[in-house]
Amino acid sequence: MHEFSVTKSLVDLCNQEAVRNDMKEVRIINLKVGRFTGFSPDSIRFYFEHLKTNTRCATASIVFEEVPIKIKCCDCHKHSTIDEPILLCPYCGSNAIDLISGREFSVASIEGE
Amino acid sequence: MKKIRILKPVLVSNQQRARENRGVFDRMNSLVINIIASPGAGKTSFIKYLVNVMKKTCKILVVEGDIKGQIDSKSISRLGVDVIQINTATECHLDAFMTAQVLPKIKKNYDLILVENIGNLVCPAEFEIGEDFKLAILSTPEGDDKPLKYPLLFHLAKVIVINKRDLLPYVDFRPDEAIKNIQKENPKAVIFEVSAKTGEGFEEVFRYIHKELNARKKKSKR
Repeated sequence: MHEFSVTKSLVDLCNQEAVRNDMKEVRIINLKVGRFTGFSPDSIRFYFEHLKTNTRCATASIVFEEVPIKIKCCDCHKHSTIDEPILLCPYCGSNAIDLISGREFSVASIEGE
Repeated sequence: MKKIRILKPVLVSNQQRARENRGVFDRMNSLVINIIASPGAGKTSFIKYLVNVMKKTCKILVVEGDIKGQIDSKSISRLGVDVIQINTATECHLDAFMTAQVLPKIKKNYDLILVENIGNLVCPAEFEIGEDFKLAILSTPEGDDKPLKYPLLFHLAKVIVINKRDLLPYVDFRPDEAIKNIQKENPKAVIFEVSAKTGEGFEEVFRYIHKELNARKKKSKR
């Protein structure tokens, strides 16, 4: 549901960056989405088709790069990648965890002419 | 075709606006708590219980976020504290820009600003508004598994309140299990178990908020 406003921010950001970098037409937006965010690529795509009109992103498509949830255990110091955001060390069971990645929601780059 | 590295968060403008809101709240020396829970978890009842006692010792503003209507803001203003309503119309969360619209309406300095977000466990978690911290409420009829089903909010909330303890005899809610599940997402969470109906467990909440208020005052003196 919140993807509407999020996608609006995405279009605004890419449009601004295109203007700033003198890119007339954005073709590809490389978007990083962490697994520990609540954003659905399908919803973003749906709103994007509508919101991109009359911007420099009008012919662009989004390439999603999923960023895995990586954690570091503060007790046994092992690094691991987990599928679900349950922040327990798979090796020793500790919940003293540093979240290394998974919360990303950022534009890595734009490609175009 | 050329490629330009951007490396910026999509919500960069919201984050920027949240920082600006934070600056305004800092100058007012206000502790701002962003209260998030599902519809019917008891956000308004929790706020009312808190306000009723704490209004004697501190100046409180309540910011009420609702999709539509002023039901909650009317009932809170009857307690004799200031309330500002935000109606989001279609949006399922408050963001920093909606919160910024409230700022010109704040005419005096408040010690404590309680922001009641839209009833929703998903979307409000993603948007900072300039708060000191997020407070999530989980009520016993919702089930003790909710922290695992909505991990982001329970991960980000500094304070988690388990509400409706008075209903424990009637629902299949295991408090120990709920706490265990919260700690899987957020081992540092400060957890309170209360009933906004009977007042059970609120003493510790008052003590905690007073401690946070004092910490905020000290911070601003520095």
